[in-house]
Amino acid sequence: MVDVRLVDEWFMREVLPLEAALMRFLRNNGRGESDPADLRQELYVQLYEAARRGLPTCARAFAFRVARNLLINQLRRSRVVSMEAMADLETLNIAVTTITPEQEAAARNELRRLQAGLRCLPAKCREVVELRRIDGLSQTEVATRLGVCESTVEKQLAYGLRALTDFMLGGDGKIRRAPATLRKKAEAVRLQEEAVS
Amino acid sequence: MSGAEEIEAAAARWRVRRDRGDWSEDDQRALTAWLNASTAHRVAWLRMEYGWRRSHRLAALRLPMPQSSIGETHDTRRACHRYATGVMALAATLVAVAVGTWIVWQDIGAVHHYETEIGGHRVVPLRDGSRLELNTDTRLSAEIDDRARTVWLDQGEAYFEVAHDASRPFVIHAGKHRIVVLGTRFSVRRSDHDLLEVAVADGRVRIDALDVAGTEAPAIAVRGEVAVAAAASTLVTPVSPERVDRELAWRRGVLIFDNTTLADAVREFNRYNRQQLMIDDTVAVARTRISGSFEAANVQAFVRLLHSAYGLRVEDRGDRIDIAG
Repeated sequence: MVDVRLVDEWFMREVLPLEAALMRFLRNNGRGESDPADLRQELYVQLYEAARRGLPTCARAFAFRVARNLLINQLRRSRVVSMEAMADLETLNIAVTTITPEQEAAARNELRRLQAGLRCLPAKCREVVELRRIDGLSQTEVATRLGVCESTVEKQLAYGLRALTDFMLGGDGKIRRAPATLRKKAEAVRLQEEAVS
Repeated sequence: MSGAEEIEAAAARWRVRRDRGDWSEDDQRALTAWLNASTAHRVAWLRMEYGWRRSHRLAALRLPMPQSSIGETHDTRRACHRYATGVMALAATLVAVAVGTWIVWQDIGAVHHYETEIGGHRVVPLRDGSRLELNTDTRLSAEIDDRARTVWLDQGEAYFEVAHDASRPFVIHAGKHRIVVLGTRFSVRRSDHDLLEVAVADGRVRIDALDVAGTEAPAIAVRGEVAVAAAASTLVTPVSPERVDRELAWRRGVLIFDNTTLADAVREFNRYNRQQLMIDDTVAVARTRISGSFEAANVQAFVRLLHSAYGLRVEDRGDRIDIAG
């Protein structure tokens, strides 16, 4: 087994930059039934666990191969299997598109991309992120400055982190909030975490 | 909406919480337990870690703050603001700044990005008559206009022939350092661990360390000197003209070693070639000293020489070559 720290760094260095292209691949070739975030999670879990057994030499080829197999299995599991759809997937050319020229240019100037992502954040969240990440204030200092409690600051930072990460990895920087039932469950999980810590 | 969204939300909360001042060992244990509970947790965490690390760049946008603000403590996170001060001074002449609001960088359109791949070499003429040469595996950006000349060396090594212009100092930002020249010829190399090496062939360069509190005297290096800068200290050494020439031999596609250990020579070759040489640093043979000139791109010739002249065992394994005693 490869050391988890090595796999972690490999994953961040080699796989995450491919997210935009991988998501496009999944979107264009999938059936649109699964939630994209679920599909991405499934893909990443498989990539990570495979890498634990041995780091692949070419992350790009490997990632797209696993993505294609994921879609094939998804198709097999679904009730109505179109033979054409299956054939299409199996002959899919894996040397897939590179990211668009615009994305490539933006990726090169990461600071610009971060700023664009910042502009997409809701006002309050943006203010918190700017105080913390641009000004370097601690969470306590941000809370004092804005006159709110620290847990609010934490919540805003967590939201901002998700949105910025999503944006930087090629998404639109919009985080959909979970419906009420799942939020309650998440709250229960969070309380559990807190009890432990 | 989905299990994945919930896990991602939890990962984000964990990542943000970890940066609080009061993170304890119990917190760490809880986080480790959560990460180990499922690979889905771990990959979500890595995504947030990636975002968090990248968002650190935002610190470059910091405006110089007036002294009397917020009762700041001088911890290392604040170090970035000095770097930003230099960049801001430059940017202020180019972008309109609205008082009390954050700078929104307009697309100036004049920043050009240049890159070389491993083993690459690229010559870039600039608008002001200066000339850049990018060495292997290098990334830099350049912005030249009527008022300023700026280069950001993000990675690797470049040789600069700067056209003389007293009205526009040529400024190079490399990590936490800034190099200022009027007109001269020199190379700048960024190595691991934020080490900076400047070899001056002609003229004078000034090297400022930007994250130092207080006034640290800048280092000046002139023709025939090599400066090595790490964090806040810069060591300037006069060297022989041959040494400077050796530092710049890459421009001719050549690597010159003069009593260099095999381990160091291997490291140097590996900068220029996809097929990597592997040698165990701990064995005596790694400390063998070698001298000579080699084509940077010709790993095979180098390795053949090691075998014939030094009797070393060499095994070609495709993407790498193992060297043993």
